Amino acid sequence: MKRLMVLVGFMLMVATVLGSAPAPAAAQEPIKIGVIYGLGGAAAPYTKPAVTGHEMAVEEINGKGGVLGRKLQLVVRDDQSKPDVGVREARDLILKEKVNFLTGIIHSGVALAVSEVAKEYKTILLVSIAKTAALTEDKGHRYAFRSTSNTLIEGRAAAILMAQQPFKRYAIAGPDYEYGHRMGEDFVTQLKKLRPDVQIVTEVWPKLGERDFTPHINALLQAKPDMVFSSIWGGDHIAFVKQAKPYGFFGKTQYLAIGQGDLDVVVPLGAEAPEGMWVSSNYTFYHPDSPANRDFVAKYKARTGDLPPSGAAFAYTSTYFLAEAIRKAKSTDTEKVVDALEGLTVETVHGPLTIRAYDHQSNKGQYFGRLKKAPEYPFLIIGDLQYIGGEKTMRTLDEVKALRGQK
Amino acid sequence: MIDLGILGDPAFVAVQCLNGLTQAMFLFLIASGLTLIFGVLGVLNFAHGSLYMLGAYLSYTIASLFVGRPSAFWVALVLGSLGVALAGGLIEAVFLRPVYRREELDQLLVTYALVLIIGDVVKFAWGPDNRSISRPAILAGSVLIGGRDFPTYNLVVIALGPLVAAALWLLLTRTQFGRLIRAAASDREMVGVVGADVSRLFTGVFVLGAWLGGLGGGLAAPVGAIYPGMDVEVIAESFIVVVVGGMGSLTGTLLGSIIIGQLNAFGILFFPRFALLFVYVLMVVVLVVRPWGLLGKPHTR
Repeated sequence: MKRLMVLVGFMLMVATVLGSAPAPAAAQEPIKIGVIYGLGGAAAPYTKPAVTGHEMAVEEINGKGGVLGRKLQLVVRDDQSKPDVGVREARDLILKEKVNFLTGIIHSGVALAVSEVAKEYKTILLVSIAKTAALTEDKGHRYAFRSTSNTLIEGRAAAILMAQQPFKRYAIAGPDYEYGHRMGEDFVTQLKKLRPDVQIVTEVWPKLGERDFTPHINALLQAKPDMVFSSIWGGDHIAFVKQAKPYGFFGKTQYLAIGQGDLDVVVPLGAEAPEGMWVSSNYTFYHPDSPANRDFVAKYKARTGDLPPSGAAFAYTSTYFLAEAIRKAKSTDTEKVVDALEGLTVETVHGPLTIRAYDHQSNKGQYFGRLKKAPEYPFLIIGDLQYIGGEKTMRTLDEVKALRGQK
Repeated sequence: MIDLGILGDPAFVAVQCLNGLTQAMFLFLIASGLTLIFGVLGVLNFAHGSLYMLGAYLSYTIASLFVGRPSAFWVALVLGSLGVALAGGLIEAVFLRPVYRREELDQLLVTYALVLIIGDVVKFAWGPDNRSISRPAILAGSVLIGGRDFPTYNLVVIALGPLVAAALWLLLTRTQFGRLIRAAASDREMVGVVGADVSRLFTGVFVLGAWLGGLGGGLAAPVGAIYPGMDVEVIAESFIVVVVGGMGSLTGTLLGSIIIGQLNAFGILFFPRFALLFVYVLMVVVLVVRPWGLLGKPHTR
């Protein structure tokens, strides 16, 4: 009997040693995060800082010992802003690189395509920038998440803001693809609900990357709107503004440019940005004046010498969401991290943000206001700034369920 | 959405016409370099949009050296486009000269490689951010046309198009260099046989074409954003212009530019979501009915 006890004890020891031997090695293996963005062209002013934002967050987290004792590691890929390339890179990241999670993506078309890959391979995709509401609405599923706002949240917020204004004649302008049309629709639907008396007098849909907006500018002016709601963004917005100015455009109509209070466009426009133009912004370095934001601005400046553009904030936020979820799940197991992400609240540069459990949409809102000169900067900043939180405008659960065809 | 009523407003139509014409002249300046190079060298230069982009970036850098001076824009335009011409000379000598006798596909691949190389050089040298420069103060305002504001700068561009066209025409018809170019365009071997230095002639033509591309970029810089990727849009549009007008024909390129400028300007009024369709339909019709373009010559090869 004694010998049997010794034997069993010995075997248990062997089993423990064998079982635990690989464990320390596994603990040192990094947690791999696949990052996908269109790194060239018009997206670059957002996505290059975004990569920096991911790197900053990862270095901070690793500097404090990583997550679950493991370091985070980024694998960055370029989707060239093309859905088919995005799908290829996502598959490669999952199958060959064996990444644990996917994040990133700026192009709405790429986001929807890669979301299908995430569903197929049961891999978490946490979209950091792309905004088509469809991702978390009718096309939503267990593995698709978004840490930023969406077209519906922003369109509705703009409608709430505009409904308080005396404008009656509206014109709609936007780039001719998924994002532009979704934004225009979401805005108009909500505005008409709040203000049945408004009228849409004209629409223009220049292609993405248009060089010459003058025919559109003339057509807009001809319709004599009080307010032009526009989702034209980035370099296109810069071109539009510069071309519109000599037509006296900004003296003849008001203009609301969604997302164009961001540094990516106000800095190059400099003094040419029209004072008083209505804008929304994804992120500003001057608001909120919170410890988290001040700290982020200081770190980004120390690292790059520049003020942080919105791309960096998008990415920094999504990385912290992933890290917190892994910590909460105490595991990198996809199913457990999905459960952890659902309803997760993280303290971000925007203040606390929560990813809603049902549709995986964050309650991140937008900053609204009108451009004004600031003596301390060589570019315009947003005056009368107000943050309209996502919880005020995101779809109700019933709305999302109806869109997903569930009762 | 179709509302013919707006066409009853002559001032609106006039301004829209001028808008179309501005676009046409930008297109012509850029596409004329493309068509010239194809007409003489027989090379379809995919990298022409990259030269345009380079022109915009060089103008930006030079203008920021002279910031605040009224002459900044003009100095930048002249030096920037000359810089692109110089780069064009180097590109021709190093990359294109070895492939003239190869198949057209090889030449296409070389110019495509140049697109990637120049794109990366630009990203490396200037970074991914949007850049922007101002119009010269003297042209920043507008003039009244039928009671409507029209940008002074655009009027200058409209005037510049025909000036460049006339200068090119004079160069091609009234100079020895031009006669050789035209001779080379119709029979390359013959020009060599009669003792002209074909190699230097080709470099000269490429430099001239590159200069036109750089000039287009410098002129477009103050009315748009300067960013990596601005080369892609412009090369697609230039190709359409050249295909419609006729490969290698300068007058055809001018005509093609004007047609496409006006199609864009008025197309968006009737089909705001499908305005591009007109341009593509036009290209298809031309390719089916007159594959050599409106004013081009049928291939004899």
